[in-house]
Amino acid sequence: MRYLIGIGNFSMADDGIGLRLIERIVQEGLDCGFEAVDLADEGFRLLFYLNEGTEKIVLVDAVEMGLPPGEYRLFQPEDVASTKDMKRLTTHESDILAILDFARSLGYRLPPITILGIQPGDLSPRPELSPALRERFDIYIGAALEEVAKDG
Amino acid sequence: MTQNVSVNVHHLTRVEGHGNIVVDVKNGKIEKMQWQVPEAPRFFEAMVRGRHYTEVARITSRICGICSIGHTLASVKATENALGIRVSPQTFKLRTLIKHAENFDSHVLHIYFLVAPDLFSVPSVFPLVPTHTEVVVRALRMKRLGHEWGSLLGGRTTHPNRVIPGGFAEYPTADELRNLKQRLINVQPDIDATIQTVLSVADKLPAFERPTEYMALSSDQEYALYDGVIQTVMPDGKKQRWPVAAYKSCTNEYVVPQSTAKYTKNKMGSYMAGALARFNNNYDQLHPEAKKLAEALKFKPLCFNPYMNSVAQLVEVVHSVKDSIRLIDEVLGAGYKPEELAKPTQHGQGQGGVEVPRGILFHEYGYDKDFMCTGGNCIIPTNQNHANIQLDLEALVPKLLAAGKDEKAIELNLEMLVRAYDPCISCSTHYLKVEFKR
Repeated sequence: MRYLIGIGNFSMADDGIGLRLIERIVQEGLDCGFEAVDLADEGFRLLFYLNEGTEKIVLVDAVEMGLPPGEYRLFQPEDVASTKDMKRLTTHESDILAILDFARSLGYRLPPITILGIQPGDLSPRPELSPALRERFDIYIGAALEEVAKDG
Repeated sequence: MTQNVSVNVHHLTRVEGHGNIVVDVKNGKIEKMQWQVPEAPRFFEAMVRGRHYTEVARITSRICGICSIGHTLASVKATENALGIRVSPQTFKLRTLIKHAENFDSHVLHIYFLVAPDLFSVPSVFPLVPTHTEVVVRALRMKRLGHEWGSLLGGRTTHPNRVIPGGFAEYPTADELRNLKQRLINVQPDIDATIQTVLSVADKLPAFERPTEYMALSSDQEYALYDGVIQTVMPDGKKQRWPVAAYKSCTNEYVVPQSTAKYTKNKMGSYMAGALARFNNNYDQLHPEAKKLAEALKFKPLCFNPYMNSVAQLVEVVHSVKDSIRLIDEVLGAGYKPEELAKPTQHGQGQGGVEVPRGILFHEYGYDKDFMCTGGNCIIPTNQNHANIQLDLEALVPKLLAAGKDEKAIELNLEMLVRAYDPCISCSTHYLKVEFKR
């Protein structure tokens, strides 16, 4: 099974990009050949998709990369180092990279994972995406679908 | 007596969102003592206006990623009450079953990942991997059950899409329900081990009591989670009830300068919602196995120690598993089959109340003749607990000072107090912050 997984907070502007992308893909019936998963606020649920039968995971998340708002990058977890303040790291307030480290420490064998990281423009409490991300929304969907369909 | 203390916990860890604890004591005099919640407004009540009744629960389930099942249930119940939609006994039972899934999942998360680190004297669950691997693996095994239990009924655990006004959009098969029942039977060794783990560290829960009012749904039929009327129990054991439609007169929302979240109160200066409130109100209706656990722990109503909320959650974990086995048997034994959605018979105003892991939750909507939403109101349990947390702090800090506790011990006691309530504040973010290695 292949999974396209979104994580974030719907109420905090661009932090919810992954969830909105999953929502649109499900609404439009574009989830063919993979399962679209909304993890919402609880990153630990990612562990339940790291199964023997998992062929591939594409994670969609807002990622602070120092790029202009709306830019995106596709990368593997091992390509990056987290610079987030780890003090708050916990089950609710999660950093998906730390969850993956946690999984490794418990002996999980990780399937191939790609992160579709989207540079946020606004992380304030607003129930909508910032204009920079709204304008590129269809591009992100295309990138996510292409990546999850790609072999390897 | 401790003379000078400065506690400033900015963004308390192991809670969802941002809450601050600020205590200033100079020369033995308490100058400031506040639980501050800089919660942002969330606009959900405005977002539902003008939406068709079939869309509203999908929007309001977004209020919380942890309690999205509860928000969905409160929302569909309010909509059904407004539109005169009457659901079948089978729907009632399946919804109770998914409510149990949410409580089980959330309680396991809270007990193991948010409270246990304090009791094992580590900052988070991560350091427990090398020292208590078996405990962490067990916690994840139980959480996985909760996740898949909720997904089976709701289509998915987060923002369930099968629970809709009038019934269910899709149903699990009878075989899937039988398989769930077997998994609930099989989880017993993990529950037994959880009880032993909690027993081994239970003496680390502070012995602090402050009598208050406890509010929960209550029902003559069962330990109320999915349905019931509003009930509070006072410190003298006196109980009183109101219909859910009267929720505003029981919650009496008000604002305070230190918090952007609204506070609530009923008969006293504050009330508590959550597992301990349910335990204190509805103990008699717990499953016998859950009561047996409470008795083994010498835990009985009325309990005035807020730290025991986590123990009440453990009692509810047992209750949810046992009651769900009963529900599956009843549903399968009554000619289980997919049903047509019940349809609206009227329009107007309706309220819905359910118990989510953190306490009693209210939704209310109005609908016009075309079944379009004219307005909504939601009162979440975390906000109902803020005033009670503040009054707990005011009672606890002088005791800790009088006992001569140092600043670090006071800070830990206060953090544990707030975490015991399992607050879920909306302003958490989950984005990554990275540097590329190449």
